[in-house]
Amino acid sequence: MKATRFLVPAAGGVALGALLLPGTALADTTVSPPTTPVGGTVVLTATGCNPKSGDAIFRVTGPDRDQNVRSTTAAAGGGLSAELFTAGFTLGTYTVAATCGDGTPDGSATLTVTPIGGAEAGGRAGDDGVGTMATGATLLATALGGAVILARRRRHAVTAATH
Amino acid sequence: MRAYRLGRLLVAALAVAGLALVGAGATRLPVRPPQPDGTAAPHRTVPAPHLPPLPRAVPVEVRIPAIDVRAPLVSVAADAAGALEVPPLDRPAVAGWYRLGVSPGETGNAVLVGHVDSPAGPAVFFNLGRLRPGDTIEIVRTDARLVRFAVLGVEAYPKDRFPTDLVYGPGDAAGLRLITCGGRFDGDSGEYVDNLVVFASRAA
Repeated sequence: MKATRFLVPAAGGVALGALLLPGTALADTTVSPPTTPVGGTVVLTATGCNPKSGDAIFRVTGPDRDQNVRSTTAAAGGGLSAELFTAGFTLGTYTVAATCGDGTPDGSATLTVTPIGGAEAGGRAGDDGVGTMATGATLLATALGGAVILARRRRHAVTAATH
Repeated sequence: MRAYRLGRLLVAALAVAGLALVGAGATRLPVRPPQPDGTAAPHRTVPAPHLPPLPRAVPVEVRIPAIDVRAPLVSVAADAAGALEVPPLDRPAVAGWYRLGVSPGETGNAVLVGHVDSPAGPAVFFNLGRLRPGDTIEIVRTDARLVRFAVLGVEAYPKDRFPTDLVYGPGDAAGLRLITCGGRFDGDSGEYVDNLVVFASRAA
């Protein structure tokens, strides 16, 4: 009984602490879309930041980058957002961590910068035999036409000889 | 009469040459790679076994018993234009691992790429379109681990509508994506119009 009395409040306290501690706050930063081909534009949003507290700063860190992006607009769903253009980014996964204008962290999210499009993974010869066959068919058609002309001429010649 | 004979000779020569070219062309017609039947849902959610993610390690070989593939892997990244590199065409039996992504067995989707064919004929991933859900793909890594994946599905996508997020996007578990070319071969561009993607999840 004593154990129960101790455990229930303790568990509640741990849960409350998890909600209140800044380090364990729910991730309020989003990247949309979270995956983009290099050169694409993504929208960074810090939904937990109050625009009245000033601009949010998104810190983008990754393979060879440590860059701060300042929020430019109030997000439609609340918070602040900024666009990030990924031209020149090294491919890989980046972490985007937001800090609100009042200095409080607003969680983090990941951004994956990928190759553009699919893969050119076919390597057969451009001349696949169709062109050769087409040339052959043209020659055959010409030969057939010539044979018809020759047959007609021969028939005319025979007819003329018998009259 | 002499002109008539010359005409006959010319017609015969044209016919012989035409037949020879048609025959030669027919022997060079490439075999079309198998295409997925589209019945499988490639990115469906399946109850994956609870497997702890593996640490990063370079994969060195891919094995796909259902289509008799056993191929070494080389690391690939992207070219200057940002497109995915492919293994050298003079080694059509080799597949590539996209080293800027996760390795097979880590959390996320590892990506392999291989040629469907080469000037010499079918290449390492020629028969990917034959794979069916449940088929096994095995990856050997430098840490001596053998990682098994089960095929979820195979899908063809036009290259200009490549599903970047489904292939490279993050995942909660270890996944595998195999990419090659497929669909119609465009003689003008010298390329296939589609990419064929195999979706697989870790099985062991």
